[in-house]
Amino acid sequence: MFFKRNWLLTMAILMLLLGVITCTGTPAPGQATTAAPAPGAGEIKIGALYDLTGPTSDVGKDYALGIQEAIKCLNEAGGVNGKLIKLAQADYGYRVPEALTTYKRYRDFDKIIALLGWGTGDTAALSPTVANDKIPDISASYSGELSNPAKAPYNFYAATDYSTNARAALTTWYDEVWKKDPRFASEQGRKPRFELFYSFATPYSTAPIKALKEQAELLGFEVGKGQDVSLTALDTKSQVLAAKDFKPDLVWHGNTTGSVATALKDAKALGLGADHIVNNWGFDENLPRLAGEAAEGNVYGIGVTAFYGESVPGMDKVIECAKKYNPSVPQEARLIRTVQAWANVLALAEALKRADKAGSLSGTGVKDAFETFQNVDVGLGVTPLSYTASDHRPGSLVRVYKFQGGKPVLVKTIDMKERFPNEWGKWVGY
Amino acid sequence: MMRLPAGIYHETYRQDQQWWQTRFVWARMLFLFLLLFVVLPLGLPMLDASIGRYVLGLANLVGYFILGALGVQLLIGYTGQITLGHAAFIAVGAYVSALGMLQFGLPYPVTLPLAAIASGLWSVLFGLPSARVKGYYLIMTTMTAQFVTVGFIITQYVAQVGGRGVAFSLPPGTITFGPFPVESELSKYYLMLVLVIGALVVVANLLRTRVGRAWVAIRDNDIAAEVLGVNVVRYKLLAYFVAGALGGIAGAYWLTSLSAVSPEHFEFALSLELVGMILIGGVGSLYGVVFGALFWALVPEAIQFGVAGLYPFFPELFGKLSPLRLVAFGLAIILFLLYEPKGLAYRWWQIKNYIHLWPFSY
Repeated sequence: MFFKRNWLLTMAILMLLLGVITCTGTPAPGQATTAAPAPGAGEIKIGALYDLTGPTSDVGKDYALGIQEAIKCLNEAGGVNGKLIKLAQADYGYRVPEALTTYKRYRDFDKIIALLGWGTGDTAALSPTVANDKIPDISASYSGELSNPAKAPYNFYAATDYSTNARAALTTWYDEVWKKDPRFASEQGRKPRFELFYSFATPYSTAPIKALKEQAELLGFEVGKGQDVSLTALDTKSQVLAAKDFKPDLVWHGNTTGSVATALKDAKALGLGADHIVNNWGFDENLPRLAGEAAEGNVYGIGVTAFYGESVPGMDKVIECAKKYNPSVPQEARLIRTVQAWANVLALAEALKRADKAGSLSGTGVKDAFETFQNVDVGLGVTPLSYTASDHRPGSLVRVYKFQGGKPVLVKTIDMKERFPNEWGKWVGY
Repeated sequence: MMRLPAGIYHETYRQDQQWWQTRFVWARMLFLFLLLFVVLPLGLPMLDASIGRYVLGLANLVGYFILGALGVQLLIGYTGQITLGHAAFIAVGAYVSALGMLQFGLPYPVTLPLAAIASGLWSVLFGLPSARVKGYYLIMTTMTAQFVTVGFIITQYVAQVGGRGVAFSLPPGTITFGPFPVESELSKYYLMLVLVIGALVVVANLLRTRVGRAWVAIRDNDIAAEVLGVNVVRYKLLAYFVAGALGGIAGAYWLTSLSAVSPEHFEFALSLELVGMILIGGVGSLYGVVFGALFWALVPEAIQFGVAGLYPFFPELFGKLSPLRLVAFGLAIILFLLYEPKGLAYRWWQIKNYIHLWPFSY
């Protein structure tokens, strides 16, 4: 009587699920080998964390495709000095506990020597751990805090950091619009008013705020109190109305594309009348599709690389690999996120090559190899990459774009080090 | 073996409620002690260092979930006060501990009880409406705790303290117990064991005292409890205090794994997950908390292993399989609720009974 059918079924499911995890004799899981390793050649194990299902999946899916395609293409072209990269990958849905356990799985089962990380929250949470484990984390989070080797020695990324981006966008608007646009010719007697829209609770969104406020003060802006907009916001009317009292000339958008599109549409609908600058994860090909006309005109955004399909060195390869490995994804649907993923992979590949040549293909070797970078050009419109033992900010060249007819147009490439030579050295680490 | 032989009767409540009444139970506890304190942390790494480390990492997550869900169990399972805002108290604990260390230079062992007290008191504040409302209305008031605490107070004010930005990073070496840094998985594991066992013992003890009986009476019928002389409001608030304090300990403990604390670690989803854990594990049972936490930590990880095993065969399906992982987890929960509505703890009880009665089925 006791062994009822449902009991057996339940136990079977439970044992199956738990059996998998306790079965330590099975081969290391999670590895998507992209090609059979050449006989005799070694293998380099890399882990990747994606957000395919969480609040940043609007930009995370395309980034994941980019990582996969870049690794496959790299392997096809002979890998790293003949050694193929074996990629362990997982979606962690932007949930920090899952990021921690996934990382531990990579470290202890897959034995990775480098990690391609994702969000600011989990990259920051993992930072001391990767430093302790000596596993470099090349993240899609470009948080300024991660660029200080004194605090985060094993964190890298191949893009200008959020704080530099934010300062660059603000400075570009100040130089090119506030000072030159006839709309503001009669307003020069007062300070330009600057409001900030971002998610107060999200480390990605808050990462550049301190730098941004500092830069606003430096350039002589009057700064608003800031509006809290969630990463998954579907309505931002109350924030726009609250900001309207301040009559801002310029608004910073610090979230990802979906949320930024909502804010832009509401700003237009409610007649906020301000110009906009957008951080890089909120500014991609989907923005004009989601926000329509609200994304046109005086909306400026950061591109840490060239946009997908833009005519820059290295782009042909990106497109070729995208068509080859993911033919079912239409080319029009591909985003700048693919290119950003490529930038991180190419930088990592260069570091791996250098580490391999130096005979130390390990986490420490890769970190040391990164720190030998001096203006390394990976193409794709990425700032020339330099890392030193005291500064992991990769570069100072920032691309500022705007959309015209739904297409991204490069407005200006600004060199922040050149523009602010005295301050540049002090800006590291936040 | 687990129970006293026939014919031996307890004459007092104290005798009846005694733990470990037979030698078999003592032996079982000794075995459990050896397993948890020696075999798992020390024996397993000797076989394979990295697998040992990985298992300890998972065990630490389970411990965090147990500490978090214990308070929810106390409120929902034992006092009948539905709560959907428990992540708020975990957040208070984490922030009190982090601020204590970073802002005031307090040692971690001091911030731990401070976190518990602060969370407990904060929880009492949000427990006050329970004096007037219950059921669905209480869900609303406890959800307020979540949004007011994490979404408003912590995000807007607490997280801005010291100009650190929202994410407080805890530099290596911040969390120490005297001269011992809590950095390796092993040190976190032992800390977790002490906290989890301590919390379970305290709660289990409370439950067999006057306080515990009052809580259960309130859960079963609050009017009857009041008629019997139970001060309903006082005991409800006491339950909120204990539950909040346990949440605070969970938050302070989780700092050891986080290294950087931000409001997004304590979102509404966590509050829901904690309720999910006790539903799966079994409402009104301490075993339920442990089983629920094990389920919530291990099953997604097992599914990750399973899905990861499919990638080499279907690399182009990666993007499509990942959401399926969530579906699989959802399905597992539904199956458990269908076939196991009383939770895993009930099944555990039945298995124990079966073994005890074997070879007779009655």
